[in-house]
Amino acid sequence: MKAFQYATAHSPDSARQLVADNGAYLAGGNDLLGLLKEYLVTADPLVNIKSLPGLNKIEDGRKAWTIGALVTIAQIENHADIKKTFPGLHEAASEIASLQIRNVATVGGNLAQHSRCWYFRQRDVKCLKKHGDLCYARSSENRYHSLFTGNDCISPVVSSLATTFAALDASAIVLRDGKELRWSMAELYAEAWKNPYAHNSLQPGDLIVRVEIPTARSRSAYMQISDKHAFDWALVSCAAAAEIADGKMKSPRVALGSISPVPHQSEAANSFLDGKVLDDATATQAADMILKDAKPLEHNAYKMPMAQALIRRTLLKLKGDA
Amino acid sequence: MKEPEPEKFGAHSRRTFLKSLGTVAATTATAQVKSVAAELEKVNAEKVIGPEAVPVTLKVNGEKLKLLLEPRVTLLDALRNYSSLTGAKEGCDRASCGACTVLINDAPVYSCQKLAIEAQGVEITTIEGLAKDGKLTKVQSAFIEKDALQCGYCTPGFVMSVTALLKKNFHPTAADVKHACAGNLCRCGCHPHILQAALKAAGVGHAAKTEIVNYA
Amino acid sequence: MPSWPAETKYISHATTRVDGAAKVTGKARYSSDIQANGWLYGMILRSKWPAAKITDINLEQALKVPGIKAAVLARSKEFTVRYYGEELAAVAGTSKQACLDALRAIEVTAQPLPFVVNENDAKKADAPRVWENGPNYKEPNARDRGDVTAAFGQCAAVIEGFYSTPVQTHNSMETHGNTASWTDDGVTAWSSTQGISSVRDGLAGSLRLEHSKVRVITEYMGGGFGAKFGAGVEGVLAAKLSREAKAPVRLMLTRFDEALAVGNRPSSFQKIKLGAAADGTLLAFDLENYGTAGIGAGGDAGGGGGGADIPAPYLYKVANTRVKQAAVAVNAGSARAFRAPGNPPASFGIESAMDDLAVKLGMDPVELRLKNDPNPIRQREYKLGVEKFGWKEKYRKPGSSPGVVKTGIGCAGAAWPAGGPSKNTHGEAQINPDGTIEFRLGVQDIGTGTRTVIAVVAAEMLGLKPEQITVKVGDTRFPPGPGSGGSTTCPSISPTVFDICAKALQQLQTQSGIADARGANWFPACKKLGVNSLTVSGQWIEGLSSNPAGGVQFAEVEVDTETGLVTVKKMLGVHDCGLIVNQLTLESQINGGIIMGMGYALYEERVMDDLSGVMLNPNFETYKLPGIADVPEIEIVLINMPERGVIGIGEPATVPTAGAIANAVANAIGVRVGSLPITPAKVLAALGKVPPVTA
Repeated sequence: MKAFQYATAHSPDSARQLVADNGAYLAGGNDLLGLLKEYLVTADPLVNIKSLPGLNKIEDGRKAWTIGALVTIAQIENHADIKKTFPGLHEAASEIASLQIRNVATVGGNLAQHSRCWYFRQRDVKCLKKHGDLCYARSSENRYHSLFTGNDCISPVVSSLATTFAALDASAIVLRDGKELRWSMAELYAEAWKNPYAHNSLQPGDLIVRVEIPTARSRSAYMQISDKHAFDWALVSCAAAAEIADGKMKSPRVALGSISPVPHQSEAANSFLDGKVLDDATATQAADMILKDAKPLEHNAYKMPMAQALIRRTLLKLKGDA
Repeated sequence: MKEPEPEKFGAHSRRTFLKSLGTVAATTATAQVKSVAAELEKVNAEKVIGPEAVPVTLKVNGEKLKLLLEPRVTLLDALRNYSSLTGAKEGCDRASCGACTVLINDAPVYSCQKLAIEAQGVEITTIEGLAKDGKLTKVQSAFIEKDALQCGYCTPGFVMSVTALLKKNFHPTAADVKHACAGNLCRCGCHPHILQAALKAAGVGHAAKTEIVNYA
Repeated sequence: MPSWPAETKYISHATTRVDGAAKVTGKARYSSDIQANGWLYGMILRSKWPAAKITDINLEQALKVPGIKAAVLARSKEFTVRYYGEELAAVAGTSKQACLDALRAIEVTAQPLPFVVNENDAKKADAPRVWENGPNYKEPNARDRGDVTAAFGQCAAVIEGFYSTPVQTHNSMETHGNTASWTDDGVTAWSSTQGISSVRDGLAGSLRLEHSKVRVITEYMGGGFGAKFGAGVEGVLAAKLSREAKAPVRLMLTRFDEALAVGNRPSSFQKIKLGAAADGTLLAFDLENYGTAGIGAGGDAGGGGGGADIPAPYLYKVANTRVKQAAVAVNAGSARAFRAPGNPPASFGIESAMDDLAVKLGMDPVELRLKNDPNPIRQREYKLGVEKFGWKEKYRKPGSSPGVVKTGIGCAGAAWPAGGPSKNTHGEAQINPDGTIEFRLGVQDIGTGTRTVIAVVAAEMLGLKPEQITVKVGDTRFPPGPGSGGSTTCPSISPTVFDICAKALQQLQTQSGIADARGANWFPACKKLGVNSLTVSGQWIEGLSSNPAGGVQFAEVEVDTETGLVTVKKMLGVHDCGLIVNQLTLESQINGGIIMGMGYALYEERVMDDLSGVMLNPNFETYKLPGIADVPEIEIVLINMPERGVIGIGEPATVPTAGAIANAVANAIGVRVGSLPITPAKVLAALGKVPPVTA
C-alpha cells in the first residue's frame, strides 16, 4: 500500500471536494484496501465517508424502502422487517463473505466493488481491465468468468446485492457533482458491459448515496452456489422477485450474478413469466430464455446447467408456502 | 503463448505531498453552520492529514493507546507492530482468514482490513482483553477443555468470533456457530472441537463421538 | 526391556493442553510475535517473472527510503530465476510501510525467458527447459514384477482409469519466517519451524558460523505440515539483514510469498490399469504416473525438493505389477515434504481404481479391500468401521440413490510406514528441592501437543499431575531432539521422558533414601536434596515405541446433481496408533488430518496460468481451504494397542480422506470424477450436463 493522505468528510459536498481527482471514498474499506495493498489502484487522499449524515439508515415506506449507502450488510441481514418484506435481500446479505466483512462492508461498497477476476487481482499481470492488451481469462483460466459480455473483458459482476436489487427493480441514487442521478441496476453497470476498463458506470467522484427498493414485489428469493459452503464467492447467483396473486406471478423479475459484467436479466423472460402460474416447466422455460445467447468458454460452461438449476429453484422458492 | 518483453520494475518516484489544504477549509466554511464550535470541529475533522505519521488514539481493552501512525497503517499493524498487542495474528492481511479478528463495539471485524486511523473513538477488544484478572472467560475455558486448538495461531480469532456470537445469542445452534465462524480459517483442522467448544460455552451439551476399541 | 504401566491415570486418558491457556489468551509468543529490542521489519522482493535472466538489481534507491536500515541481495546481481516468486532481494526498516516503499524502489533489470508452468506442456520435447542442462521430463523409473501382460489376460475384470491430483500448498496459518539477531556472539533466530536443530544447522552452514554460534528458539509456531524444516532463504536473509542493520530483524513471509516459494505437495497424473479374478483377487496392476515438484523435479531443489513418485500399488498385494513414474519440472516453486508425502495421491489413485474395479466385478468395495489388503490391523479396522458406519445398510449400487440430491458412501485405507521414533532424542529434567520439576527437550510443538505429551508421560511416571510438570521445548540449547514431522515426535519423546523419569526416580531414591519417590513421596524425597537441584539426562530407549500406523476412513456425501455441489455429511476414521498417550490431542490430530484431506478432495488446488506463468490463487480467496461450514460430523474409532508402544498419527489421518470422499461421490452419482479437487464444475461435467463449447 502506497502512502496516502486521509480526511474525514462530514458532508457529501466536502467529500466530493476532498476526493478531488485522485482520491477515493473510504467506507467499509474491504475492497479499497485490498486494491491498494496489491497496488492495483492508487488513491490519494482517502476520504472517510462514514460520518456523512443520514446514509446509514434503513427507512421503510409504503411504496419504497430507502437503504442508505453506508448501511452495513450486517444491518440488512439482521433487520427483521427486511427479512419479512424483502426475504431475498436478507438471504443475499446473509451469504455475503463472512460476518467480519458483513459488519463493516456497506451497501455502497458492495455495489461499487471492483472485479474479482484473478487476473485483474494478480499484481503482476497487466490484463485488459488494467489497460493491458489481452484478456488472459478468455484463452486461459476462465472457470469463474462470464457467460455474457459486451466487450473483450469477461470479468463478471460479483455483487450479490446488485443481483437482488435488480430483481427487486431497485434504483441506486448516485450523487454526481451535487446532482442526484437515479439509476437502475442495469444502468449502474451498463458501462462495464461495453467498456473493458470499467467495473460499473460510476465516474471518479461519483458517490452512491442510497438505494430505493419498490415494495411492489412482496415475494423475493436469492440463491447462490459456490465451491464451498460459506465464505466463498458465488459461481452463479440468482435472485427473483414478484407479486403473486391468485397463484399467478405479477411483475416478475429474475436476475443473475457472476455470469455477466452486469446483473444478467432477460426482459423476454420477465414478460413470459408475467401472469403465469409457477411450476417446474414454466421455470425451466424461463431459465432457457434467460440463458439464451450465452457464450460459454472452455472452463465455465458448467455455469450453464448450474444457472439453469438456480433459476428454476429460485423461482420455485418464490412460491413458498405463504 | 505471449512472448514476454524485457522490462524493468521498481524505480518509482517517491510520493509527493502537494495537496493544498486551503480549498478544503474554504469549501467547508460555506456549509451550513450551527455553531462556531461545531464548525471548528468540522474544519479540523475535514483536514487532510498525512501521509506522514499523525497522532492516533485507539481505545483497546479499555485503555488508551496513543500512537504515531501513517494513515495507511492498518489496525492489525498498529496492534502488532506499533504496540505489544500481538494476540491478534496476521494470517493473510487480506480479510480472508480471520486470525486478526478483533471486536469493535462488540462486533467482530478483520483488523487487517481496517485503517487504524479510522478505528479511533470506538471500543476495540482484542484477545488480551478477554480474561479479566487472569480469569479465563467461559469461551476460553471451553476452548481448552474441548481442545479446540492445535498450533493455536488461528485461536485468538476464533475465540473472538465465538465471544461475539455468545454476547448476542445466548443459545446458539450448531448452524449459528458455523455462520459466525465461517470467516475464520484453521489449517490444523480444529473445526469439530471449535464447534463443541462454542456450544459448551453456551451451556449446550455434546455427546462424545470417539470410541476406543482394544485390538487384542 | 522397559514397559509402559498397565494401569494408568493420565496416559491413554484425556488431558487438556498444558499450554492451552497461553494460546487462548494471546499470551503465547509465536515467532511472528517476537519484538526483540530495537527490532526492524523485514520483507522480500520476489521475481515477477516465471523465468528470467536477472542482469542487475540496484538497491540504492531502496536504501534512501526513510526508515530503511539495510538491503541485501538474495543471491547476486546476476542470475537466472526459474519461477514466479523466487527471491531477489530483501530490505529491513523501522516499519512495514518503509519496507513496502523500499521494495518498490529496488530496480531490477531482467531479460525474461520462455517458461512453462503446467505439467502437460512441460512434458513436450519442445517445451522451454526449466533447467538448461536437461529436459523437464526424464525417462521414467520403471519397476516390473511378474508378467503383467499375461496376468491381465487372465483377469475376469479389468479397469483403466485416469486419476489426477493437483499441487496442494501447505498454507500453515503462520507463514514461514523468523526474527534473527546477529551480534558479535552469533545469531539468535526465533524461527517458525518444525525443526529447530535443522534450522540451526542450516543457518550455520549458510552463514558460515559454528553451530555453537547459532541459537534457534521456537516457543510457539503456527503450523508447518512438512514445509518448515529448513532455515529457508527467508531465514538466511533475515540474518544477513540483521548483520547489516546491526539490529534484530523480523522477517515473516506474506501469504502471497507463502503460496509461491516455500513448498507444496507435488501433483500426480495417474494412469492406472487394474485387474482381478472373479473372486476379487488382484492379479495385475499397471501404473504410469507423472507429476510436478516444480523446479524441484528437474534439478537442484534448493530448499529440500522432492520427487513426485508415489507408493504403488500402495496397500495392496498384487503379484504382477508394472510401475512407471517420472517427475516433470515446471517453472513453479519447489515441492517440500507435505504431511505423509506421496501417500494421499497414492491413496486417491489406487482407492479410486479399487472402487471402479469393485463396480465392474459387482463386488462390495469393502469386500474387495478385505480380499487384497494383507494388513491384519486394517482388516480389523474395516470390519469395525463397517459396523460403526452402518455400511451394509447404507450401501447402494452406484447412482441408484433416488432424487436430485444423491447420497453415496465410500471408503479408503491408509498406511504410514515411515513413521516411528527418532533414536537421537535427548532430554533432561531439573528437579528442585521444593519438588518443582522442569523438563527440557530440544524439540518443538507444531500444534500436536508436544508439551502436553511430555507432561502426561512425566506425570504418569512420577505420580504427579500434568500441571505440576513444567515443560520447556523449542531451544537448541536444550538436549537435541528430532524435527516434528513424519509422525515421529510422540514416539520419540515419550520413551525419552520415560527414561528421564526412571533415572530421576532412581537418583532420588539414592539421594533421599526414600524407596519410591513417586506420588505422595515426591515432595519429601525432593526436600532431601537439600540445597542442590538434581539434573537428570535421558534419551530415547528401545521397547516403548514402534511403527507403522494406518487406518481406514469412511465418507458419506450428498451430491446435488443439478448444481454439482458436494456436501460431506459424515466422516468416520478408524485408526491404529499403538498406545494412546493423550486421547484429546489425538482426536484433534485425526480431525485435522481428515479436514485437510477434505480440502484436498474438494477445494484445494494451485492454479498456474499458462499465459503469464504466475500463480493465480496465491491467497485464501481463491486457494480454498475447508471452513467450519464445510466440515461434517466426524466420528473416530481408536484402536488401542498398548503392546505396540507409542506410535505417531499425524500422517495417516490425512491419507485416505480424499479417496474415501471421491469414492462416495462416485457411489452417489454413478460416474467417477477422477480429478481432484471435486468441484461442482467437475461433477456437472462428469454427469454429462455441461454443454460442449464451440470456439
